[in-house]
Amino acid sequence: MKKLFCILALTLAAAAGAQTAPADPALYQTFGEKPGLVKLMDDFMLRLVADPRTGPHFKDVNQVHIKEELVEQFCQVTGGPCVYKGADMKTAHADLDIRKRDFNALVEVLQQSMDSQGIPFRAQNQLLAQLAYMHHDVITVR
Amino acid sequence: MIRTLSAAALACAAFASPLAQADTGKLVLTGGISSIDGGAGGGLTPWAVIGSNATEGEIGVAAHISRLHTHDYRLTTYGAILGYRDRVEVSLAQQDFDAGAAVALNGIAPFGVTAGQHIKMDVLGLKVRVAGDAVLDSDTLMPQIAVGLEHKRTHPGSIASVLDFLGTRTSGTDLYVSATKLFLAQGVLLNATLRNTNANQNGLLGFGSAAPGRNSRSWQPELSAALLLRRDLAIGAEYRRKPNNLEALGRAAGLGDALHEDAWKDVFVAWAPTHNLSLTLAYVQLGRVIPGITANRKQSGAYLSAQAAF
Repeated sequence: MKKLFCILALTLAAAAGAQTAPADPALYQTFGEKPGLVKLMDDFMLRLVADPRTGPHFKDVNQVHIKEELVEQFCQVTGGPCVYKGADMKTAHADLDIRKRDFNALVEVLQQSMDSQGIPFRAQNQLLAQLAYMHHDVITVR
Repeated sequence: MIRTLSAAALACAAFASPLAQADTGKLVLTGGISSIDGGAGGGLTPWAVIGSNATEGEIGVAAHISRLHTHDYRLTTYGAILGYRDRVEVSLAQQDFDAGAAVALNGIAPFGVTAGQHIKMDVLGLKVRVAGDAVLDSDTLMPQIAVGLEHKRTHPGSIASVLDFLGTRTSGTDLYVSATKLFLAQGVLLNATLRNTNANQNGLLGFGSAAPGRNSRSWQPELSAALLLRRDLAIGAEYRRKPNNLEALGRAAGLGDALHEDAWKDVFVAWAPTHNLSLTLAYVQLGRVIPGITANRKQSGAYLSAQAAF
């Protein structure tokens, strides 16, 4: 029993260390650096518009601008040499009706898109861990 | 009663799309599976997650059936979950425990246990999420925390005479607090549940004990760890410590450790072939269950569970 607790505590501690650490720059390479992220966002936006859950939120927006912002943001959170200069997440979504199901739907579409680009599951989760907590600012309808 | 409600829940589940939200919005597998006591979690223990596919602002339902085979016993459970706004979970389950081995108890005293006797138990569960988001709060160590209760009523049939002899009651209520955390970058999920209970073998052998057995409630830890291999596939292990209320009574009656009770453990693989279906296969080790009538064997075997969630 004690041994089990120790293993759990160690796992927790190890996970905690990684949880809060900034992304390893290798993650940026796994995503194919800037060209890979541009390709990913082109695919992602097509899927966002096509998916009946996310389509209404994206079909009338400036898609080119959003894709550029997402490339910068993803480049930064994957440890690439970029600084995201766009609006903070709270401001960017303040005027929109976004529920948790919309947030989750976007995550699923992003996962499908990453699958299609051959991004390994572990790298996908490392990216999502850098984004998931933004639900606090992105979701406007609680 | 439970059977009717479960059937109703299954029917609701089948028609959930036109009746409720067009599409409930939890991420796949993040509502857990149905535990043997009905609530969402792992197979043997509840987690802090709220069952069904419903997320905030939604209502969802789930139904499950599971089967466990060990050397001397069989356990079938089925039940239904209602998830409300990812905040409150109500669950109903019925366990059907094939306790045919208990006929051997007639050799100890004239208990009148019928051959092939089953023990049935109804479980009404209530769980409330009090803090945190197990999946999305990836910037903090704060887990999702829930408190819950499981009210159980045992229907022992001809084994009632044995439970009377042991001085156990046929109903009881477990209280628990659970903390669940997904370490997203690592794909590791951990859960810890602390249960306050006086149940013997989860309540299948009643609650409490006559002296000198332990009649009082105690806190028991339950631990789960899972590793996500893919979005739709997880493997893991569980450990559930249980009280050993009856052993002292058995010793006093000259039966040695015939009434000893062990912890439960399992290793599992859970797969979600679709957003609405999950299948769980486990190797379960229940330890000794009334070892006095089962040649002191540890009860291990396969567990299979299917859940539909909407």
